[in-house]
Amino acid sequence: MSLVKILEIALRTGRVTRRYPVEEPLLTPEFRGSIEVDPSKCWGCGACTKVCPSNALTLTPSGKGLVLEYFVGRCVFCGMCAEVCPAKAITVTKKFELASKNLRDLRSRVVHEVLRCSVCGAPITAEAEVRAVVKVSPITEEYVALCPRCRKERFTKSVALRIGASSGPS
Amino acid sequence: MDLAKALKAIRRSIWVYHLNSGSCNACDIEVLDALTPYFDVERFGIKLVGSPRHADVVLFTGPVTRESLPKVVRALKAMPRPRLLLVLGSCGVGGGIWWDTYATIGGFSKLEEILREQGVEVDRVVYVPGCPVRPEAIIYGILVLLGLAEQKVREVEVHAPGG
Amino acid sequence: MTESVSKLIEELKRLGGRVEEVKDREVYLVVGRDNLRSLAKALYSTGAYLKTCAGVDERQVQGVLSIYYIFGLDELGVDVVLRVPVTEDDAKIPTIVLEVPAADWCELEARDMVGVEITGRPVRRLVLPEDWPEGIHPLRKDFDYSARPPRRFRSELPEEVGVPLGPYHPALHEPEYFELYVDGEKVVDVVYRGFHVHRGIEKLAESPRFTYKQIPFLAERICGICGFVHSSCYVMAVERAAGIEVPERAEFIRSIVLEVERLHSHLLWLGVAAHLLGYDVGFMHAWRIREHVMVLAEYLTGSRKTYGINIIGGVRRDLNVDKLDRILKTLAKVREEFVKLVEVMLSVPQIKLRASGTGILSRSEARALSVVGPVARASGLYRDIRKDYPYFAYREVSFKVPLYTEGDNLARVLVRVEEVLESIEIIKQLVDKLPGGPVAVESWDVPPYRRAVAAIEAPRGEDVHFIITGVGKPYRWRVRAPTYQNIPALRAMLRGASLADAPLTIASIDPCFSCTDRLVVYDLRTGSRRVLRIAGGVSACPL
Repeated sequence: MSLVKILEIALRTGRVTRRYPVEEPLLTPEFRGSIEVDPSKCWGCGACTKVCPSNALTLTPSGKGLVLEYFVGRCVFCGMCAEVCPAKAITVTKKFELASKNLRDLRSRVVHEVLRCSVCGAPITAEAEVRAVVKVSPITEEYVALCPRCRKERFTKSVALRIGASSGPS
Repeated sequence: MDLAKALKAIRRSIWVYHLNSGSCNACDIEVLDALTPYFDVERFGIKLVGSPRHADVVLFTGPVTRESLPKVVRALKAMPRPRLLLVLGSCGVGGGIWWDTYATIGGFSKLEEILREQGVEVDRVVYVPGCPVRPEAIIYGILVLLGLAEQKVREVEVHAPGG
Repeated sequence: MTESVSKLIEELKRLGGRVEEVKDREVYLVVGRDNLRSLAKALYSTGAYLKTCAGVDERQVQGVLSIYYIFGLDELGVDVVLRVPVTEDDAKIPTIVLEVPAADWCELEARDMVGVEITGRPVRRLVLPEDWPEGIHPLRKDFDYSARPPRRFRSELPEEVGVPLGPYHPALHEPEYFELYVDGEKVVDVVYRGFHVHRGIEKLAESPRFTYKQIPFLAERICGICGFVHSSCYVMAVERAAGIEVPERAEFIRSIVLEVERLHSHLLWLGVAAHLLGYDVGFMHAWRIREHVMVLAEYLTGSRKTYGINIIGGVRRDLNVDKLDRILKTLAKVREEFVKLVEVMLSVPQIKLRASGTGILSRSEARALSVVGPVARASGLYRDIRKDYPYFAYREVSFKVPLYTEGDNLARVLVRVEEVLESIEIIKQLVDKLPGGPVAVESWDVPPYRRAVAAIEAPRGEDVHFIITGVGKPYRWRVRAPTYQNIPALRAMLRGASLADAPLTIASIDPCFSCTDRLVVYDLRTGSRRVLRIAGGVSACPL
């Protein structure tokens, strides 16, 4: 009896199989796949690396410059990076066909030029970030290309000078 | 061993063994899901077997916990050559969210070193990221493993445009 | 705080407890270790359940190591938390397993993880790997989360953890196993060997890698099936500890997704149970129906496993008209197909025969072990966190809690079948009543050293998270998954039963292991040992 009934269910349902890869995958418009970083927008500020729960995004200085690396092999596809990105450089795509024969192909990098201190030569941060910051909050040009230490020094010196000028010996 | 020949031989009948090294089960139920009507991997002749000794391909999930490590090594040792592995999910590929904790060894690349020490050779590995991997991604991974589909991802290194 | 609670507190004070803090849903008491047993006994005999206990290294704040015992008073909807502090030099706490059998595992876990010796009972290593060095306790604050002590790698392993052999089974694989001791065909005793999936989650959450904001993504990866339960439970614990008011709409969305998760989990389990009974047609059809729910889950959350939308203070994705419409359409389809399938499945004579009268868990044993979820409800215990400790939007909906008294495998099947139908009704009501407004608070702040207990009814039963807040991240986060509480009950279910029924019985609690799992069978008459595969897998909820 149950056999007849289950047959009835099967026949009425018909074929449900999605014949992927010949047919389209069973994706909904909301699916979160791998992310893409737009190098022309990225500042190299590293906000994304700070929220990434699995450290799939890392920002490390190297000989080439400041490198933002995305290792999709560790990504948990939460999309938090796209939410925090101040430059809107990260987009969440619907890509899921990420199979690779080696781990190397799962990495993508954006290399940023590093701005160096014009006084002591110490690396400050990614050049693109400095440009972006200058755009929103104009900093006096003489301070832009200084590392925090040199900037402080110069600032203290100039303040001291000014104070010296106004409250000098009468 | 002629890998190409071996791959050709199993092309229409792929026996897979599912090896869980401590994953959260999400990838594991997606493996199961791939067997059920909506994805039906038996279309490709893929069949799940209960022993690595019978397996053409091992579906590997999990970040390799310390407790499971000896058992995982032993299961892989039992597998006949060529050893073909499909490493599924972010845990298997890169250690996942727990890649650096005391209780895991941190994914397949670390396991590979241990396998080498133990004299267990692996003939081909295909990594399938996803958290969890979709059933379609598993199918695509198998196709890449067998050389029936082109790998789509490539290593990319772009310099941010200078000012 | 009601009168009965104040009365109980008075009684506990008389027995030597000192009240530390009284909140709406929780009462915290400090207890000296000499008084612990009498307090535990008093609580357990008044009908409290043991939710869990948690070892905490509080040397930085209080100069002590503590074990927190969390008791739940279901009738009052209040948790009583006993804190037993001991000094590092004299870190010994007497066992309470005689008074509270349910404390068996969590005591041993505290011993492993924090290094508090439990006296008065046989002890063994529970959670840490076999080759983990003695004297290193991962949850001590001076242990670095990423330290990996040298391994003693044994290439040859004892036979019982050998390579699984057996027929094909399209089911879950999880590396955990049981040892069954049999006399002929009768099971005499059961020993569980597990914790292969111990990934150090609780320690990781305390590590510099994590902040409050990121932990929901860690929490949902505790379990691939009830991930949303864990992230909800974590955010609920933090929100309660910090007094964050969550917008109503967010609470409704969380409740909807929780029920969607219950649907997919129960359908998954039902399929696996059918498969275990040799009824593969049922397995395939149950999973076919489940696929509608999976697609819905992805449409609502962006991930097939409902990952990624819970954040402290609300949710990341709102529901729009399209989504609500899709929910109702999917539910109608699932309900129609599910009712038909269940009708057919339950009319298959083999299923009825093999499920009824097997794996019986009596009400008294269920009570003693504080079992949770469908297992409790099939043994006549009326326990449902959604009713007993209402959270999120469950106060706004009416639903029935299925209750059976037989305590056998069939009862556990029927409880889950009815719960599927109830869940569908719950979601419909939630969609109907969904209020407007924002889905997340704009900003929040978590003060340090506040405590909270949160519990959620997961598909497998009560999931408990206990939190002590720290600076920027939890000071201690204790997770107790439902299966943790239910596995010890298997001993009672399997003893004296026939060996052939063991796989189904183990599966009937919907536990954390599966097809790769082997029962190692020791025949006490001949002394021989053989490996029996549990045919088919079961959905899991690993720690």
